[in-house]
Amino acid sequence: MARVRSRKATLALGVAIICSWCVAPGASAEWQADSEQLTVTDNPVGHSGGRLVLALRSEPKTLNPVLAQDAASQEVIRCVTADLIEINRKTQKTESALAKSWTVSRDGKQYTLHLRRGIRFSDGQPLTAGDVVFSFHLYLDEKIDSPQRDLLIVGGKPIAVEKIDSDTVRFTLAQPYAAADRLFDGFAILPRHLLEGAYRSGDFLRAWNMSMPPSQFAGLGPFRLKEYVPGERLVLERNPYYWKQDRNGNRLPYLNEIVFLFVSSEDAQAIRFQAGDTDILDRFSAENFAVLAKQQAARHYHLDDLGPGLEYNFLFFNLNDLGPKASPDVARKQAWFQDVRFRQAVSAAIDREAIVRLVYNGRATPLWTQVTPGNKLWIDPGIPHPPRSLAHARDLLKAAGFSWKSDGTLVDSKGSPVEFSILTSSSNAQRVKIATLIQDDLSHLGMNVHVVSLEFHAMVDRLLNIHDYEAAIMGLVSGDADPTAEMNVWMSNGDTHLWHPNEGKSATPWEAEIDRLMQQQLVTLAYAKRKRLYDRVQEIIAENLPVICLVSPNILVGASDRVGNFQPAILDPYTLWNIDELYVR
Amino acid sequence: MNSRRKLWGALILLAAFHGLILFAGFFAPYGFAVQDRDMSFAPPTRLHFTDAQGKFHLRPFVYGLKDDPANPGAYAADTTHMYPLRFFVQGSPYKVAGLFESHLHFFGVASDGRLFLMGTDGYGRDQLSRFLYGGQISLLAGLLAAALSVALGILVGSLAGFYGGWIDELLMRGSEIFLALPWLYLLFAVRAALPLHIAEWQVFLLLVAVMGVIGWARPARLIRGVVLSAKERKFVVAARGFGASDAHLLFKHVLPQTYGVVLTQIALLIPQYVLAEVTLSFLGLGVGEPMASWGTLLSSLQQYYILSSYWWMFLPALLLIPLFLAYYTTADALQERLKSVSL
Amino acid sequence: MRYISRRLIHAILLLLAVSFFSFALLQLAPGDFFDAMRLNPEISQHTVESIRSEYGLDQPLPIRYGRWLRSMLKGNLGFSLASNSPVAPLLRVRARNTLLLSGTATLLAWLLALPIGVWSAAKRGGWGDRIGKVATSTILAVPDLLLFLGLLLLAVRTGWFPTGGMVSPGIDGLDFWSQAKDVAFHLVLPAFGLAVVMLPVLVLHVRSAMIEALESPFIRAARGHGIPRARLLFRYALPAASNPLISLLGFSVATMLSTSMLAEVVLSWPGLGPLLVESIFSRDVYVVVAVVMLSSVFLVMGNLLADLLLFASDPRIRTETE
Repeated sequence: MARVRSRKATLALGVAIICSWCVAPGASAEWQADSEQLTVTDNPVGHSGGRLVLALRSEPKTLNPVLAQDAASQEVIRCVTADLIEINRKTQKTESALAKSWTVSRDGKQYTLHLRRGIRFSDGQPLTAGDVVFSFHLYLDEKIDSPQRDLLIVGGKPIAVEKIDSDTVRFTLAQPYAAADRLFDGFAILPRHLLEGAYRSGDFLRAWNMSMPPSQFAGLGPFRLKEYVPGERLVLERNPYYWKQDRNGNRLPYLNEIVFLFVSSEDAQAIRFQAGDTDILDRFSAENFAVLAKQQAARHYHLDDLGPGLEYNFLFFNLNDLGPKASPDVARKQAWFQDVRFRQAVSAAIDREAIVRLVYNGRATPLWTQVTPGNKLWIDPGIPHPPRSLAHARDLLKAAGFSWKSDGTLVDSKGSPVEFSILTSSSNAQRVKIATLIQDDLSHLGMNVHVVSLEFHAMVDRLLNIHDYEAAIMGLVSGDADPTAEMNVWMSNGDTHLWHPNEGKSATPWEAEIDRLMQQQLVTLAYAKRKRLYDRVQEIIAENLPVICLVSPNILVGASDRVGNFQPAILDPYTLWNIDELYVR
Repeated sequence: MNSRRKLWGALILLAAFHGLILFAGFFAPYGFAVQDRDMSFAPPTRLHFTDAQGKFHLRPFVYGLKDDPANPGAYAADTTHMYPLRFFVQGSPYKVAGLFESHLHFFGVASDGRLFLMGTDGYGRDQLSRFLYGGQISLLAGLLAAALSVALGILVGSLAGFYGGWIDELLMRGSEIFLALPWLYLLFAVRAALPLHIAEWQVFLLLVAVMGVIGWARPARLIRGVVLSAKERKFVVAARGFGASDAHLLFKHVLPQTYGVVLTQIALLIPQYVLAEVTLSFLGLGVGEPMASWGTLLSSLQQYYILSSYWWMFLPALLLIPLFLAYYTTADALQERLKSVSL
Repeated sequence: MRYISRRLIHAILLLLAVSFFSFALLQLAPGDFFDAMRLNPEISQHTVESIRSEYGLDQPLPIRYGRWLRSMLKGNLGFSLASNSPVAPLLRVRARNTLLLSGTATLLAWLLALPIGVWSAAKRGGWGDRIGKVATSTILAVPDLLLFLGLLLLAVRTGWFPTGGMVSPGIDGLDFWSQAKDVAFHLVLPAFGLAVVMLPVLVLHVRSAMIEALESPFIRAARGHGIPRARLLFRYALPAASNPLISLLGFSVATMLSTSMLAEVVLSWPGLGPLLVESIFSRDVYVVVAVVMLSSVFLVMGNLLADLLLFASDPRIRTETE
């Protein structure tokens, strides 16, 4: 994008402009001395002022980025804080943010980041390297137990942070790490002057909770907290010290205020959006798309279908070492599940097109690999997409020793009929539907499949604690397009290696091969080499099918016609990632 | 004799409804799990008597359905194909009373025609057939739970009322506690604890049974009230004076006085438990796919797009109204008879 | 006095038992609040475990119950994991909203039920009474859920009423009267729906109580004396019929927190109903226990209120117990 391309030239120009401002006395009422600011190009220049009303699915629980784990808190935090390096959601690549540049040592283990000079927090206090070091100490502190801490553990050891001078910070890793620069997106830089007291007195866990007055917060994001009324709304106001400006020199953000309403269900959000109560509708289901699309012109909003995101839904079988609590039935059926031809037959019999059509009204993409077409950097176009073929499935089953009785029931080599259950969470209507369709598909092969939809917690208990299930349908959304975000899923000893978590040693040679490849891509720095490694991982998964990938739902968003610079992306946060550029027409 | 006529009227309606549902296999044109993936969310098929040329037919017929090119997702009538409605047709197989198989259906159309009198759901499954089959599950749930609640209510209520004293205190305090607890958790726990190979409908009936057992408190209170006044009746006191044992008094004299209340309670509780089954389905504890129950049919209305675009999904709920009316009228008539007969 | 103190002791024992059994029930269902975190590939199990023990979720049941009881006695209702805040302020706001809704609906229902019930008892057997009975039975037979969904559909299709929530955005900055009008506007659909749901039972009971009262000898005598109809009904018969009605009033108060649950969930009214449902689903145990306890308090209060009112209003009871 033009932004990346002409960055160096624009930066030089920016520095020149700033220097001239420093020289000219009596500059504008807004403070501007000594600041280096990022110029935003390419986007239409908007006008200042105005207010947007948005909806959150639940109330934020905390404004403390170190402790926040739920989606609502993170969404608000993203509007009021900034990171050293950020991932541009449109290009999916990193770009400089609070750190204007960085260098990597030759061994790939040291990252030296140079901060922009003259940046201030939203309360006017200056940003220094001391704040950066303090922030990372918080994220790494074992007593605080930040949910983000694990991301900073590379090669088994936590990253080391040290201050070089007032504008420079150095990060040292235990081993070279391919996605290191992407790591910084999501680690907000916190003000030492406001939080050090709480930290030293041991009270950090209560710091920045929702009942703190707005004056006690300060961040580096485009907005700052204005007001929070529990049960009703959260209001953010423009941060006058924000460090970005548009190509005309207007300081961003354009908006004066953002109001978040708490609307707890997706359907209620769709209703409110349609009624004009909210300006942006973030991620809704395909069924609501059809209903909302009819009124686009009349109610002055538009809907966007962005294509597949990073979510992938899949079917998998229980391949665990069974503990004492699992039933003997499951043990007997595992003999079938562990035969790769059985899994391949199941995959061949599933009608993915019907899932796309009936569950998502056509607004989804069938998948044969865990990397969706939305992930442009990492998808392997060489993975085969075989069409549905019951005949092929039958051949595979015959080769695996299965046969059919006269009434069509499938039986194994010992003569027991093939019967199993698919577990799914009852709160996810789409996955229940997918399970029902698969149940019908597999009945054409003579398999007798039950759909067991359990409440979410009961399902997690069975999957992760007692391993008492036969097959299950789940979905995962990667935190980032980069494969390192999913190490825990594909590594044999990973906690979320769902079909067989926490394997000590790989149970099969192909899982061992995946482990080796994933470890290698972790430390390989060149993208082309990494891509080849990860392509091979995808191929192994597509051949051995520990997970049978099904579909990826499209990202559907909507915005009122009065929102300018609306550029939704397929990475989270889909609509608000460029909130500093949004304006009201 | 108005109450007698009311009672008989309501009972006949109930019998008709229950008969239709009991023989769902015969009355439903399709099976409950038959998916027609090209007919997803088709509106109710209209019966015609006059065709496109204006000719009148004595035997009603339906047109074929095809996709409407002007309106994606909707269907238009295909006037080139006419399918007359026939009675006593051969169709998909079903089991009568779980024993022998039959193919005979009360009405239907030729196999390449479609007769969706109540429209279809997202998988293209006929809603009328699912309503009838679903009634089997839901009414069974209602009857089972009501019977259990009342049975336990009789047990507890008669003991409390008859013996009085600390037994009464204990049982009534217990009933207060029971009414206050969040039983949803217990239902989740029971569901989660069951092994996977139990059939879905068995799981469901177990949950319904748990619900029925939990619901003893209110019937118990009512029966206790009746027992309290019944045991003071002169003939009971007289029998006691003759040396009758407690059990004899209870079973031969006191309990028969509760029959009216018991019957009324059953008639009131059945609709209540059918609605409770609907609530369970809303919360994800309903009977599993692909089985149908009234709860699963209605729980799809939770979703906005169904609520606003597919009006025929409301029909199962509307059909419940006359059924509930029949039950409440029965209860009402029984109460009136009680008053006129008793005491 | 002794009577009241006895009832209070009963109430406290009941609440204790309810709290203990609720705690026990909550432990039966598998899983806890942090299950979703366990499925996140970016967080290790080790971190999840330490967060769990931070909140004391790995302690056995008796210890957790003891701790909770101790803090309850100090007035601290526990900590909500989902909202990351103490339970008490959360509950206060939600309970206030629920009481607003159910209070309005109950008032409305009683205001309608009394005249309708009295009138149909007076005109008993006439065509007005018949129509009334049919209407009442039909409303009774309509499932509550269907009624609320219908109201929601009405709001969505016509746009005459708000489709959810209690206030409109941008309500801050307005004066008290504008805010009150806004809330009232949001209150129309849920309160109306709830009142319609409550109406049939009330009407039937008022009617039957009035019929009994109208048949009593002293009313017949009063009619013989030529007392005009309206006065007869409202000043003489109604007070005589008040015994069952007071019990019913007590019942209304007792269930004030729980009747509106379905309405709140369907029409998105921010009361205790949605809070309870969400907390049950996310395993936010302390919130669930607190809401259950609050409902039990109302239950007890309602019954106590009814008994006291009966005691005060019905001389027969007073003379019996003395």
